[in-house]
Amino acid sequence: MMWAGLLLGLGVYALFGLAPAVAQAVISFTNYTALPGAPVNNVGFSNYTSMLTTERPGFMSALVATVVFVVAVTIGQNAVALLLAHRLQGYGKMAAVGRVLVFLPIALGVTIVGLIWILIFDPREGPAASFLGAFGIHSAFFGANKWALPLVILVQIWQNAGFSTLIFIGGLRAIDPQIYEAAGIDGVGSWQRLHRITWPLLAPAVTVNILFAVVGSFTLYNTIYVLTDGLNGTQTLGMLAFNAAFGSTEANLGYGAAVTVVLFLLTLIVAIPLMALLRYRERYLWTAR
Amino acid sequence: MMRNPRLVGGAAMALLIVILFLLPVLYAVMIAFETPSHFLTSPMTPGSPVVSNFGHAWSGADLGTELINTAVYSVSAAALSTILGLLIAFPIARRLVRRFSAVYATIVIGLFLPFSVIPLFAEARLLGLYDNRIGYIILHVEPGLPLAVVLLTAFITAIPLELDEAAWMEGAGYLRYLTKVVMPLTRPALLIAFLYGLLGVWNDIIGPVVLLANPSLFPVTRGIYNFYGSNTSAWTYLAAAIVIVSLPVVILFAVSQRQLIRLQITGSVKG
Repeated sequence: MMWAGLLLGLGVYALFGLAPAVAQAVISFTNYTALPGAPVNNVGFSNYTSMLTTERPGFMSALVATVVFVVAVTIGQNAVALLLAHRLQGYGKMAAVGRVLVFLPIALGVTIVGLIWILIFDPREGPAASFLGAFGIHSAFFGANKWALPLVILVQIWQNAGFSTLIFIGGLRAIDPQIYEAAGIDGVGSWQRLHRITWPLLAPAVTVNILFAVVGSFTLYNTIYVLTDGLNGTQTLGMLAFNAAFGSTEANLGYGAAVTVVLFLLTLIVAIPLMALLRYRERYLWTAR
Repeated sequence: MMRNPRLVGGAAMALLIVILFLLPVLYAVMIAFETPSHFLTSPMTPGSPVVSNFGHAWSGADLGTELINTAVYSVSAAALSTILGLLIAFPIARRLVRRFSAVYATIVIGLFLPFSVIPLFAEARLLGLYDNRIGYIILHVEPGLPLAVVLLTAFITAIPLELDEAAWMEGAGYLRYLTKVVMPLTRPALLIAFLYGLLGVWNDIIGPVVLLANPSLFPVTRGIYNFYGSNTSAWTYLAAAIVIVSLPVVILFAVSQRQLIRLQITGSVKG
């Protein structure tokens, strides 16, 4: 019975987790279109080399948009979450209500959150348009090149800040109160407390939050799909892969798979050294105190 | 108490949080109760409330069928992924398989793999899982599986081995042992894995676009998104649809929030 259960579980994992990952790499070397009757040929590395040429002009701009998105979301989400965690770490009722509120966007989910923000930034009838219009600011917002990417970044931060906040609160609460008490006896000021106790001891939570934000925003596409469909400078690599495969203009699953493989490798190349760096930082902060 | 300036600062910050996180949601709720003409003339202020938008949204977006679809998909996929996670985690945690650490490492890799929608689309067509309910559920089991295994392995390792010997080895069947002993002791992990699975299905807007074609099979996220596409300026109807769809989710969230906190408290008392 135990073996049957184990094999069933591992079978599902192999069939729908590992096999598609391998198939992704295989498809990336073909011109697969999923159209019935269309021939599938080995095209070598052409899906990869074409990314760097004018044949695929969307790739480089998608790479830039991805980097901007990842950096802005990682910094913004963690800065907001640190502030929120500092205020909401308490055991009182207000803090508990606050924690529920910051988590609400996660429960509402990507589609609902996206539609609410589209409503708010509707260029003709939305409240943001009439509010900003009072200051002489008029724009198509999600439909404008200048606004779309910053707004998508803001929505992503709003959507996920609650998750990082809860991890920071966990980190803050894990700090032994006796350390603060001992510091109080020694007459350590509030800046010193932050600098020498809270910040070094919060380092593991910072590591987790930065890695989650980086990996999560690298591979993100569902929020962008709802908000802009990748238009107006918001086409990140994840969105590009989807549009290349299933978009209205082409059905090139081979190229889409190649973009996904590049995105995966890029995520690993960034995430693994970053993890090592953050782990080093945890030890350094603690010893250099 | 409020004379302390730091506490006043704290209250101001708390108020800011409420505004930042609640106002956009409350705004959508307000619009849901407005007449379309009032919304057009003064979008910032509430008018005399009407409920007619909800009727339009309900019939226009086929929300009833789609809500049921979403419930069936998310609960089945999350439950299957939690149960399979337990079936994988137990032998690994108890080191009953050879190379248990290699098996575990293979599962951990799954945490980092991207949702491979392109090959899954090809696989779905090949295996007859494309555009049907059972297929859609099966295709959504795996994304929650690695986290379920990791969480449950950690929890099962903390269960004393003596319990195995006392119950399972003395003739209680394996599945009976899992349901009567292991499951009650790993409830927090099971709940988190289940909620994570639910959230995965709920947040997947690409899956319904790629893996389903028949509108009667759409989950409510795809349905409401299509409704938005075909009623671009009918914001009061869309807001009503948003409220209808959010209501069960918010209730579930409120209930599980309490449950999770209670589990946390009992867990810390036991530990």
